[in-house]
Amino acid sequence: MIHVRNLQKTYKDIQSGQFTALAGISFDAMPGQIYGLLGPNGAGKTTALRILSTVLQPTEGSAIVNGFNVTEQPEQVRRQIGFVSCNTAIYDRMTSWELVQYFGQLYGMPLDRLHSKMNALFDRFQMNEIRDVLCSKMSTGMKQKVSIVRAMIHNPPVLIFDEATSGLDILVAREVLKTVEQLRDQGKCIVFSSHIMSEVKRLCDRVAIMNRGVILAEGTPTYLAEKHQENDMEELFYQLISRSEAQLESEKNAAGAPPNLASPLTN
Amino acid sequence: MNWPTIKLIFRRELRDQLRDRRTLFTVAIMPMLLYPLMGMAMMQVAQFMRESPSRVWIVGEEKLPASPPLIVGGKFNPTFGTAESQLIELIGSTAGDGHFESLIKSATSSSDDSSSVEEILRQEMQKRKMDLAIFIPNQIHIPERPESNLETASQDSTSPPATQVFVLTDSAIDKSRIASERVNRILNQWSKEFSKETLVANEIPTSMIQGVVFTTGDVANKTGKQAAAWSKILPFIIMIWSLTGAFYPAIDLCAGEKERGTFETLLSSPAARSEIAFGKLLTVMTFSMATSFLNLLSMGFTGIFVLTKLGSGMGAGGNLPIGIPPLASIGWLLLALIPISALFSAVALAAAAFARSSKEGQYYLVPLLMISMPLMMIPMLPAAELDFGTSLIPVSGLMLLLRSLIEANYTNCLKFVAPVCAINLACCWLAVRWVIHQFNSETVLFRASERFGIGAWIKHIMRERRSLPSLGSAILCGVVILVAKFFIGFAVTAPQNFGQFALQTVIILVATIFIPSVLMALFLTRNPRKSLRLNGCKITMAAAAILAAIFLNPMFTWLTGFIMHIYPPSGDMLMLQEAVSRILGSAPGLWAIILVFAVAPAIFEEIAFRGFILSGFQSMKGKWKPILLTSLMFGLAHGVIQQTMITFVIGLVLGLIAVQTKSILPCILFHLTHNSLAVLLSQANRTVVEQSPVLRQYLYSTDGQNYQYATFPAILMSVVGVMLIIWFLQLDLKPSNRSEAYGRVPHPN
Repeated sequence: MIHVRNLQKTYKDIQSGQFTALAGISFDAMPGQIYGLLGPNGAGKTTALRILSTVLQPTEGSAIVNGFNVTEQPEQVRRQIGFVSCNTAIYDRMTSWELVQYFGQLYGMPLDRLHSKMNALFDRFQMNEIRDVLCSKMSTGMKQKVSIVRAMIHNPPVLIFDEATSGLDILVAREVLKTVEQLRDQGKCIVFSSHIMSEVKRLCDRVAIMNRGVILAEGTPTYLAEKHQENDMEELFYQLISRSEAQLESEKNAAGAPPNLASPLTN
Repeated sequence: MNWPTIKLIFRRELRDQLRDRRTLFTVAIMPMLLYPLMGMAMMQVAQFMRESPSRVWIVGEEKLPASPPLIVGGKFNPTFGTAESQLIELIGSTAGDGHFESLIKSATSSSDDSSSVEEILRQEMQKRKMDLAIFIPNQIHIPERPESNLETASQDSTSPPATQVFVLTDSAIDKSRIASERVNRILNQWSKEFSKETLVANEIPTSMIQGVVFTTGDVANKTGKQAAAWSKILPFIIMIWSLTGAFYPAIDLCAGEKERGTFETLLSSPAARSEIAFGKLLTVMTFSMATSFLNLLSMGFTGIFVLTKLGSGMGAGGNLPIGIPPLASIGWLLLALIPISALFSAVALAAAAFARSSKEGQYYLVPLLMISMPLMMIPMLPAAELDFGTSLIPVSGLMLLLRSLIEANYTNCLKFVAPVCAINLACCWLAVRWVIHQFNSETVLFRASERFGIGAWIKHIMRERRSLPSLGSAILCGVVILVAKFFIGFAVTAPQNFGQFALQTVIILVATIFIPSVLMALFLTRNPRKSLRLNGCKITMAAAAILAAIFLNPMFTWLTGFIMHIYPPSGDMLMLQEAVSRILGSAPGLWAIILVFAVAPAIFEEIAFRGFILSGFQSMKGKWKPILLTSLMFGLAHGVIQQTMITFVIGLVLGLIAVQTKSILPCILFHLTHNSLAVLLSQANRTVVEQSPVLRQYLYSTDGQNYQYATFPAILMSVVGVMLIIWFLQLDLKPSNRSEAYGRVPHPN
């Protein structure tokens, strides 16, 4: 469903010349699977997801989403995905109904089918009370619900959640996670980025732990626990990141100059 | 592009903006409130101005003659101005002020110089807070006719001088200026009456001093006068509001969306970037037009109301000074609003797309206004008229066309409607292309804020140096040349002889063109030789360049004449040309003129323009865009509009030769030959031409001084010249290895 190979992304940076956000990552995510991208801030999770959603172009490497190449067929790729970002990203001066309808129309859905789909989703997410409320008047949780419905309206086979529970209270976060699980059960391919270990442990079928643009470890949570002899996901994450940072520091001292990316650790 | 998607985005953005209080306030509420409030304030001020009396201090009132009486009952005589006399408060003279009297007495008796009297009066005026002072130093009485006859009286140097009266105002203070206008009207009337009484007293018929009576008339009808007045005001108003109205929605739709994070969501939807850009552009256009229209409407209603009130208050019968704008002018304005708004909306949207935040976006308004304002001000100049030259100026041409339409000068409009529309549509298209480019540019859409430091920036430039100059370096070099040329213009003085002139010309070329480009090639690129295109070339290319310059010369000479016909040189330019001709007369020989006018510019300008700048622009795709942009810079560097146009066209040929031959050597030869021929043609005189049978075939002159190419040889030569250019176009060069040259590796990492 999603096949990422040697994906790289570099930005120009006035301080260091070039900043490497992604240094060649590869992974596969399958239908009916939640693929977790785990990493601290600046690990490259959002860059990877932005490339998958065709908002950014990779510097090198390839990403295939549901059979379409993100570089060569961006418009087809955009029809295959639903993107939910961390900052809800909904229009404040629209009601939830208007917003969802707008995106449904952008996806070319006929109005009758769109309205029946909207009614079903608004019922499922208990959003009928807020259908005529301007998004600016909504709480963060409500906004995130609208954002999820907006991403699901065209029934995409792939859903991308970029730190979708960030800033939400525990009740809403749980609801979001429940929705993600339900979507997985419907056979959707889900890429879920987070830095909250408990969420990843609960949700993800496979996990890639990232730091400074590289994948440090990849596999099912059970596999990773066995391989690193650490059952606690948070502890495992901490150990991997600490080792990566220590290695970078030693390389930096040896070279006498700051490196601009981390070297992958062998698992 | 999919129109339903554009429509969908447009409708959403429109609804979004209509729900935004700030936008609604700027577009609708502000014009509805602002102008009525301003009108009220104006009426208040006008009332205050009308009712505020001027304080006039009169010194020496007792020295006025009894007849005609200037002052009656402590006020100016209403016979000389009823309204004015009511609005002037006369303050008594200096009777009893011994100190002032003695000061004035000593100042008036000591010398004939009036400055000391004026100084005393000025000080006293300020001390006493007077708006105006009148000082009558001596008794005024009606003079008697001299006994001698008129002929001898006119030659008599001992005849008494005219009576002097000082009237002092302070032009820096408005109240004083108003007082001056009022008092002058009264004094003029009184002075005329005084003259009449003088004639009567001396038994001279008053008709003798009437002289010639001029009867003036105005052929313009009322509608014509109104149209002429409105045609200057209305286009400016709609332009300025169109730009302002476009700017704020553009910021909200681009920078605002980036800030709120919604832009990313939209970009990940199936809508193409061009569809998003067009949807937003239509929204901005709608608000731009609405702002302009509503401002015009509100301003019009308020203006009519205020002027009617002021008119009736002044007793003018309520007639408006310029009347209501003709109905047709409103129609033309509404029609013109569409292209004007499209142009400004596209420019505003592109600028707003570049901004990271709404706050940053607002900073771009001032530069945008600074660029647009001169274009809007040109048509306001009294001498500005719609002709072929002005029709080619974006915005200004459109404003002038609109002015002509309002004035119902349709014949003139028909002549220039095509170039005006073409140039403004081209600008519009370029602006829209810029918007789409901005929306496709990842670096623009996700531009992150970076900490800026000079040290880091220099390090960054040195680290990022490529084999050949970048686009940015090329633009920088062009801008540096333009700025340096502008400032060096202030430093130079007018040369007195050819030696000074030659030295000055070469120094300017070296300092403003050669040095910046060479320094940039050395410090901003890894391969200065390649950057300056200092490559050798085949002998055939060099020869073809020289021949092309010779054979294309008639065409360029004709072009120069055509441009000079469309844009006749200004008086200053003609004076400068004359001065240069005079200086050239003192040149040691033709070789020296060619050295200064042909050799030096050919070398230095080619190194800079076809060398560094063209190399930089070649980092863009295609052959013609870099040539076009380099030629534009080359043209602009010549300063004068006529020269800019001519050199732009020559620059296109030079650019093509440089790109095809990959060397500036043929360009230097072309440039040198072209300039040398221009010098030779300008220096050709009757003796030289008549002596040469070849020149007699090719050149002719109507005045025996200025020689031109004969038509038939000129056409033949041009055909050969064009064939040589085609030869350059078809040069079979090895495929370019620019990607390697530019240090472009497929994957920067």
